[in-house]
Formats: sequence, C-alpha cells, structure tokens
Amino acid sequence: MTIAPAVANRPYRLARKRTRQAVLVWCFLAPSLAVFLLYRILPLLWNVVLSFTAWSPLRPMRWAGLDQYEEMLHDDVFWHSLWNTLIFIASAPVGIVIALGLALLVSSDIRGRDVYRTIIFISYPLMTVAVAIIWRWLFDERVGLINYIARSLDLVDRPIQFLNSFVWALPSVIVANIWQMLGFYMIILLTGLQNIPPNLYEAAAIDGANAPRRFWRVTLPLLKPSLFLCFVIGMLNSFTSFDLVYVMTGGGPGRATELLVTYIYKLGFSQTRFDYAASVTIVFFVLLVGITWAANRLSGGNAGAVEKD
Amino acid sequence: MSADEVELPLWRRLLINRFVLVPATIAVAIALWNGYVATHDHGIVVGRVVDAAGLPVPDAAVVLWVLNFTTYVEKTRATTDSAGRFVITNNDSHNIRLAAEKPGVGRSARVPVRLYFRAQDIELNEPLILSGAS
Amino acid sequence: MYRYPRWPIHLALVGVSLLMLIPFYWVLKTSVTGENIFAYPPSILPKSPHPFYYVDVWYYIPFARYFLNSVVVSAIAVIANVVFNAMAGYALTRDFPAKPFVLLLFLSCMMVPFQATIIPAYLITGRLGLLDSYWGLALPQFSTIVCIFVFKASFDAVPRSLIDAARIDGLSEWRIIWRVMMPLAKGAIATNVILAFIWSWNNFLWPLIVTRSADMQTLPLGLARFLSYQEDTTGALYAFCIMVLAPGILLFLLAQNEFIRGLTSGATKG
Repeated sequence: MTIAPAVANRPYRLARKRTRQAVLVWCFLAPSLAVFLLYRILPLLWNVVLSFTAWSPLRPMRWAGLDQYEEMLHDDVFWHSLWNTLIFIASAPVGIVIALGLALLVSSDIRGRDVYRTIIFISYPLMTVAVAIIWRWLFDERVGLINYIARSLDLVDRPIQFLNSFVWALPSVIVANIWQMLGFYMIILLTGLQNIPPNLYEAAAIDGANAPRRFWRVTLPLLKPSLFLCFVIGMLNSFTSFDLVYVMTGGGPGRATELLVTYIYKLGFSQTRFDYAASVTIVFFVLLVGITWAANRLSGGNAGAVEKD
Repeated sequence: MSADEVELPLWRRLLINRFVLVPATIAVAIALWNGYVATHDHGIVVGRVVDAAGLPVPDAAVVLWVLNFTTYVEKTRATTDSAGRFVITNNDSHNIRLAAEKPGVGRSARVPVRLYFRAQDIELNEPLILSGAS
Repeated sequence: MYRYPRWPIHLALVGVSLLMLIPFYWVLKTSVTGENIFAYPPSILPKSPHPFYYVDVWYYIPFARYFLNSVVVSAIAVIANVVFNAMAGYALTRDFPAKPFVLLLFLSCMMVPFQATIIPAYLITGRLGLLDSYWGLALPQFSTIVCIFVFKASFDAVPRSLIDAARIDGLSEWRIIWRVMMPLAKGAIATNVILAFIWSWNNFLWPLIVTRSADMQTLPLGLARFLSYQEDTTGALYAFCIMVLAPGILLFLLAQNEFIRGLTSGATKG
C-alpha cells in the first residue's frame, strides 16, 4: 500500500484508498460475520433470555427469573444426563491412550504403515449415524457379533443385552465412540511425533537412556501439546455426541444413556419446552467453556478447539 | 514429478485424474444399467407348469402375488397353453410369488421370485410343479 | 537405528486393523445375506449372497431423493463455505481498526458448539421462513471459523513482495486475489472443501430439527428414520447403511491424503 503514484493531491488519494480498503475488508468479512451473528452470537443471547423466561410457541413470554434453574436443581433427569456427560468426557483419555500406543506403533519404520494408518483412520470421517447402526448390530443381544464371540469363548453363559441394560448401555456407546475417534487421535499424535526432532532421541540414546526412559523423558513431554489437543477435541466430541446416542439407544433404556445434548433436544423438540431446554443449554455451555478453560490452563497454552457439527 | 506434469496440456491434467475418471466410470455404469432397465421392464413373466411326472400341464391357473409393503397381494392370473407355458405381462413389482393350480392335477408351492428391478422381464428356469392331486 | 523385531508390531497393528474393519465386514455380510438376523450361530462367511436387500431398499425408500438432497445441501454449504471463508480469511490478513475485536469475536464464536444453539437456531430459521428448505439446511454451515483461520494462515504465507510486485504491475485488488492469492491457497481450499463436505454430509442433528417433509430428508436422516420404522428386522437396513457409507468411503479413498491433512490442519489451526 506504500506504492502510490506521486501526485499532487496525495493525502486525498491515500485517504480515499484507505476508505476503499476498509470497505473491501468489511465487505469481505460481512457474510461470515452475518452467519456467526445469526447462528452463534444471537442464539447464545437468545438462550440466555429464554432461560430466564417462561415461553413456548403457544404461550406469551413471561419473566420467570430463576424458576427454570430452580427446576433444574430438582430434575433427576438433568442430573443424570449431566453425570452421563461427565462419564462420557472421562472416557476420552482412554481412547487417547490407546491412540498414543497406535501412533507409536505406526510411527515405527515398518512396511505398510500407510495402509495401517488409513485403515485405522477410516472410521472417523464416516457418517456417525451409520456407525451407530453398525454398532447397534454388533451389540445385538441375539445374534450380535460381540455376544457371539463372548459366548464362543465361554465368557458369558447368557447373552448380554448390551443396549437394553442399565449397566452396559453407556459403556457400549462409549466403546463405539472411542472406536470412531481412535483414528483421529492417532493422526494428531502422529503429527506430533513427527515434529519431535530425531536428534533428541539420539542424544538420549547416547546418554544411555533405554526405550521406556526415552519415551517418558523425551516423547511424552514433547507430545504434551498434541495430547492436550486430543483431549480438548475428545471432550468437545463427547459433549456434542448426539448422533451416536440418539441412534444407538435414544437415551435409553430409561435414562441410562441420556446426555445433556440429547436431553436438550428432547426437551426442545419432543416436549416443546424451549425455555427449559434453553436453561439446560446455558448450563451445558458454561460447563463446556469451564472445562475447555481448565484444559487450556493445564496445558499452559492455547490447545485450540475444533468444531465438529 | 513436476517435470512430467508440466509437460501435459491443461485439459489432460484436468480430465485424466482419479477425481474425474472414477466418477465418470460410475456414471457410465449407472447409465448402462439404466439403459438395460429401460429396455427390460415390460413386466413379462414367462414360465412353465408341469405335473409331478414332469409333463407339461395345459390350462392350469397361474396366480401372481406381488409384495405390497409387508404382505403379498394377488395381482393377476394366467392360464397355461397346450405346452404348459404361461405368460404374464403386467407384473409391476420386484418381489413376487407365483403358484399354479389345476383341479385334478394338484397345486404347486408358492415360489418366491426376486427381481433385480421392478417389472423386470424374466423367464423362469424352474417350472412350477403341481402335485398332490385333490 | 535401534534393532528390534518387527513382527510384534505387525501383529498388533493387524489386530487393530481387524478391529476397525470387522464391523464393516459384518454389516456388509448381513446386507447380502440377511442370515444372521434369524440364524444362530452366525456364520463367518456369507452363505449364498444375493443383492435383493439392495433392491428392496431402493423401492422401500426414495434413496435417489435422499441422495440428491444430501448432495444439494452439501454443495450449497461447501461452495458458500469456501467463498465466505476465503473472503474473511483474506480480510483478516489486512490491518483495520476493529481487527482485534473481530478476531476476538471469531475466537469466542468457536467456543460455541452448534449443539448449544439448536433451540434459538431453530427459531431463527423459522423466522427466516427457511424451515424445511435446502437453504435452511445449509445456512448454519455457510462459514466456519476453523477454516477462516486455515485460509488466513495460507494467505499470510504469501510473500508480501509478491503482492507488492503485482500491485506495481497495476493489477487490481480482485485480480491480485484471483491470480496471486488463490493459486497459492490451493491447500487451504482443499482442506476447506473436505471439512465443509464432511460436516454437512454427515450432519444429522440439524436436518433432524429443520426438516418436516419426507421430501427434504437427507441421507443420515433417512437412515435413522428407516431404523425407527423397520427396527433390526431386515437385511435391508444394513443394505441401506452400506449404500449410505459407500460414497463417503469412496471419496475418502480417492482423496485420502487430502482428507487426513485437511482434518488435522482443521484441528490444529484452531
């Protein structure tokens, strides 16, 4: 922008140029800003307003103060889904640890590592609804593959009704979720592993560090950013894991697999309780921001976030 | 790798790559299949009716059922000619059942027939076998 | 470098690969035989496979219609997404007074998951009169912050001297964008196309909320509806499942490296 022809009314030209630039910048930003204002900021504010009012499409809006939140305190389903969501989040590290093992294996210089990488990754970009149907089928109590294997190995004498049991339903959904996310964690950790300078290993080897020591002293500390990124992604994924739960169990049996997301959906669109759903959403959002913030603080930096709609 | 790619003219680089070739192959396959379907969907079902000894049965009544959601409903009837052959021309389903019957000779089992598309023209290899004279 | 036997690694990886692939195999097998819905013990290899469950699905449901809906919605979302994100990413490489504010706004928007906005988003879409329409289905995905930052990073990497040289040559702003910036942002475009495609193609929650009529259902929605009508009683469900998965798997295998690079850069750039 410093290259302007030397002319008599240069300041005027420059000013006009700057205006044109500003117009251009704002024109370029406008569509994205509009979308975000319409579908991120406005909904957030609307949620806040809704959560303090009593409203449904058929009733006029009325100030309700903290009534919704008070109801939430006594709502067993809410506490149950909150607890389930936290369990779901707590399962993310399990997947990350498995993925770390896989990443270490795949990053070794064996033949066919790209094939392994592709196979392990393939479940991630696939449609979650279809993945949920596949896992429903594997968990089927009569003829599902998992029950078949368990019975063949004499692990159980009667088939387990995985998705219809209060004990097993949530772990089953979590297994399916980890299965789908595994490849993604692995790829992120692989990228992290590749960014570790090899001479660090050589130096450690010269110092006489054996393989486990090298792993604990070199790999793990340098992989910390990638691990935290995985955790943040896994947490977001667990928080927003609607498709899997909705298709696999629908939140059932009873409320055994109800998550906050599915509860919000049901409140809003099956019970048309938009106001109460909005206040649950606010709690959901505050919790999410809180955990992300805590994760960022713990990682000592910007671990970032990813959206997966 | 770049040395070769620069040599190629633009249209070849744009057209001859896997993102064009694979969808194009699929499109051609779909077009061929649709062409086949369009020329073979007259709803003609041809078959034979024989008795327990394997001899052709003339004047047997053949019934065609078609799948309607979950149940089979009777669609049409035909009678066999002197060679035991029958021709049904108005089948419009992809999931049909056929059975034949002739008083004095017996009746056949209901034979399920699955077609690859609706109203596919088909000639049954296996004849309908009448048995159990009543 | 270090000597160690390779076969345990292969063994472990083959085991994991089987764990990843067997579910697909199991569903594929059921879709061509339907046998283990009724039979126990299930057989490992398919017995007398036939394609008729696929034929059944084709006539049970308007598969072509669902497919078309998915394609149209994804196409709208991807095109709008790439164009808008590229524009916003380009704007963010410039200096302007409110830039810190805009950056802060974008970063805070990133903290709002779509699932936390469904109730008002539904009401807003209703006010706009876009419920049950292609535009309503695609609109929330018209721009994604992650991709804006991917574009910004790739535009920032364009050497300043190149742009200045182009400007001396008298190229207009638009021509600079088209002739200089865009060719250098190919990677960002590929990333954005893939991310936007995956998000809209696989999206289930939003179509579930917004669509009313059977004609507007997308593939994931059609699949879930089919499950709720048919339960697990027919091989047709699994045939449908395979038909829905096949385009995604094909695309992934075609553009594998772009997929992996796109998904990871989408995650790490954020």
